Amino acid sequence: MKIRFLISLALLLMLSSALLPAAPARAEVKKYQRTVERYHIPDVVLINQDGKKVRIAALLNSEQPVIVDFIYGTCTTICPVLSAGFVNLQRRLGPASRNVRLVSITIDPENDSPKILKDYLKRYRAQPGWDFLTGSRADIDAVMKAFNAYIPDKMSHYPINLIRVPKDGSWVRIFGLLSSREFLEEYQRVAPPAISGVKP
Amino acid sequence: MTRYRDAKAKAALLPLVVAAVLVLLWGSEGRAAPVGPSDPPQAELIRLGERMYREGILPSGDPMPAFIRGDVEVDSSAFSCSSCHLRAGLGSFEGGVVTPPTTGKRLYQPYRRPPSLDDIPDRAGRYIYAKTVVERPAYSRETLASAMRFGVDPANQLFNDVMPRYPLTDRDMTILIDYLEALSSQPSPGAASLEFSFATIVTDDVSPEDREALLGPLQSLIAQKNQQLALYNDFIKFGYTPTIEMKHAFRKASLDLWELKGPPQGWPAQLAAYYDRKPVFAVLGGISNGDWRPIHDFCEARRLPCLFPITDFPVVSETGWYTLYFNKGYFQEGEAVARYLNRLETLPAETSMLQIVQDAPEGEALAAGFQRAWSDLERPAVTTVTLKGSSLLDQESLGKLLAQYKPGVLLFWADARMLPNLPALIAQLPAPGMVFLSSGYLGKQSAAVPEPVRDRVYLSYPYRLTPFVGSRDGGFDAKVPILAGARDFGDRRIASRTTTMLRQATLRGLNLLYDNLYRDHLLDVMSMQMDLTVRDYERFSFGPGQRYASKGCYIIQLGPGADPPLLPRSEWVVH
Repeated sequence: MKIRFLISLALLLMLSSALLPAAPARAEVKKYQRTVERYHIPDVVLINQDGKKVRIAALLNSEQPVIVDFIYGTCTTICPVLSAGFVNLQRRLGPASRNVRLVSITIDPENDSPKILKDYLKRYRAQPGWDFLTGSRADIDAVMKAFNAYIPDKMSHYPINLIRVPKDGSWVRIFGLLSSREFLEEYQRVAPPAISGVKP
Repeated sequence: MTRYRDAKAKAALLPLVVAAVLVLLWGSEGRAAPVGPSDPPQAELIRLGERMYREGILPSGDPMPAFIRGDVEVDSSAFSCSSCHLRAGLGSFEGGVVTPPTTGKRLYQPYRRPPSLDDIPDRAGRYIYAKTVVERPAYSRETLASAMRFGVDPANQLFNDVMPRYPLTDRDMTILIDYLEALSSQPSPGAASLEFSFATIVTDDVSPEDREALLGPLQSLIAQKNQQLALYNDFIKFGYTPTIEMKHAFRKASLDLWELKGPPQGWPAQLAAYYDRKPVFAVLGGISNGDWRPIHDFCEARRLPCLFPITDFPVVSETGWYTLYFNKGYFQEGEAVARYLNRLETLPAETSMLQIVQDAPEGEALAAGFQRAWSDLERPAVTTVTLKGSSLLDQESLGKLLAQYKPGVLLFWADARMLPNLPALIAQLPAPGMVFLSSGYLGKQSAAVPEPVRDRVYLSYPYRLTPFVGSRDGGFDAKVPILAGARDFGDRRIASRTTTMLRQATLRGLNLLYDNLYRDHLLDVMSMQMDLTVRDYERFSFGPGQRYASKGCYIIQLGPGADPPLLPRSEWVVH
C-alpha cells in the first residue's frame, strides 16, 4: 500500500507541473530560513530520558555534528513534524546515524518527566543517538535564551533546528520545516565527509 | 536496517512509476467506496472511524501509514487526526499553526476568511510557515478523499506541510469520512444557542462551611453571567447591532446543585437521576472528602466535562478524558517525595527505607504515589507496613519495627496524632535519619512538628511558596503580594481554587466556544490554553491530554517557632 501510494504521489507531482500550473505555487517558495550563528551554551545540567543528569554544554560542544530542537511530549502540529525529521534522518543515514547527535529539549518541563520523554522516543522509534532532555524551567529557559529561541509559553513555539558545525563550533539555524531530503542536505553540508553517510 | 532496505526498494521502483500510476490513479484516487452489505453495523463502523481519527489505527488494527513534507514517512499513531484537529474536530491553533476544522458540517461548506497581515513574511524576517488558505470551495466526499491522500483542496491548493498525506484504501477512507460526517454534528446536551446549563456536585460528608466556600464563587459567577446578558440585551434594545462573535459571547447560565447522599455505591444512580432530569453541559467544580472515582467514572461514561473539583482523591489515570483536576492530590505528594529522594545526592545508595502507612485513604494514596514514582525511577521496592491509627500511637511496637528494619529514611504517612511521639522515633533511626511527612495529611497541625527534630523532618507541600500578586480570592484586584505561611496549613483553599478554576480557566474556555457547543470542544480549547499564574499553585499548565493542571509539589522543612517559616528544600517540580 505504501509503495502504491508513493508511486501515485510521484506521478501526481510530475503531472502537477504540466497539468496544474496554477495549483502548487507555494511549493516553489523557499520553505525555511537558514542563517549561521554563534552561541554560548550555558553550563547547566538537564536530565535525559533515562533519568540521567546531562551537562548540556559538554553534550553539545562535541566533536561530532549535533542537531538541537525544542519540542514537548504532548505537542501537536509542529513537534511531530520536527521529530519525524529526526527519525527520518536516522533512517536515511542508516549505520552512519551514530555519527550525529540529536538532542530534543522540552519546552514543557513541568509535565515532561523522563518517563514521558522515553515513551515519546519509543513512539517515534528513535535509535540510539537521539536524546530528549528535561530539567528545571530556569535551566531550560537559560538554554533557550542562549540559542535566541526563548519560548515563554509552549503554545506559542515555533519550529527551529540548530545544527552545530563541528569544524568551527558555529551553528546553522534553520527556521521552518524541512523535507527529509532538505534535512539530509543541511546535515551533509556541515558533517565531515568521512562521517556524513551520504546515501540519499 | 530493514527500513533502510525498504527505502532503497522504493527508490528503485520509481522508474516504473509512469506505467503503474495511471492505473492506480484511475483505480483509487479521489474515491471513497460505499460500505458493502457484509460490513459491520453502522455503530461499529463509527467506532472504527473514531479509532482511525483518534488513535491513527486502521480497522485492520495496523497503524495508518502517513507521509509529511512530501517524503517524510511517519507512523500515524503519533500523527492521528485528533492530535491536531482535536477530539471535537474543530481544529486548533498551536505553535503558529492554524489547524482548520475537519467535521463534515464544516468541510461541506465553502470557507472564506478575510486576508491577513500574516499572509506575508513577518517583520522579523521569519517565513510564515503556517496559515490557512483565504478561501476554498465546499468539499465533497470525493474531493475530501483526494485531500487526505494527496494534500490538495477542491481548488487544487496544496495543504500546509504539517498535514500528513494518508494513503488509505477506499474502504478505510469511507469509514473515516463517515466518521468525520458524524463528528460534532449535533450540539451537546445542556447547551443551546441562548443558554448553558451547569451543575456542581457536593457529597454529604462535606461541612457546611466548605460547602458555602464552594457555592459562593459559583453562584456569583452565574449571577454575573446573567447580569451581563441583561446589559447586553439592553444594548440591543437601544439599537446596538452585535458582531457575529458578540452574538455568542452572552448566554444565560444556570447552576444545579447535585447533592450526593449515603455511601459512594449509591452515587451513580443519584447522578443518573439528576442528569436524566436535566442534562447539563458541564460540571463546574464540586467537592467531596472521599474518593472522586464514582463521579469520575460517571462523567467518563456520559462524556460530561467535570472541571476542577475540590478533591484530595482524584482518579490518577493516563487515559481519563472528561475530568480536569487541580492536581493528583495526596498521590502527587507521595510522587514528589520519591523524586526528591531519587535526586538527593547526599543519600547513600544503600540507605534502608521504610514506609509506614496509616490504614486510611490518605495514607494509601500517599503510599501509592510514592511507590508508583519510585518504581518508574527503577528503584527497588520499599518495605511498606500498614497500621491502624491506634497502632501508630503505640510507641513500643513502632520501636520494634524500626529496630527490625533500621531505616535511614522513614516515610511516615499518618495523621497528626503521631507528632508528639516523633522525637522518640527519630532517636532510633540510623543516619541520615530523615523522616518524610505529608503536610496535606497533617493539616493544620503541620506546624506542630516538635522543634528539636525539625532538622530531620521533611514535609511535602503542594502549594505555591513564591509571593502571588493578587487578591486572596484568586482574582487580580489587589497589589500586595500574598506569601503563604504556616498559618495556611490545613486550608483547603476551596473558594480561591474554585475562583481560579472559574475565572482563569473555565470562562476562557467557554468564551472560545462561539457557536461550537460541543463538550469535547470545551475540553479541547481548555487543553490548548497558555500556562497560567494562579494564586494557590506556582503554575497551571495544559496540553492535549494533560488532566492535572498543577504539576508541582515542594519538599519543605520548618524553621523555628510557633509560626515557622517554610523552607523549600526542592524545586517546585523535581524529575
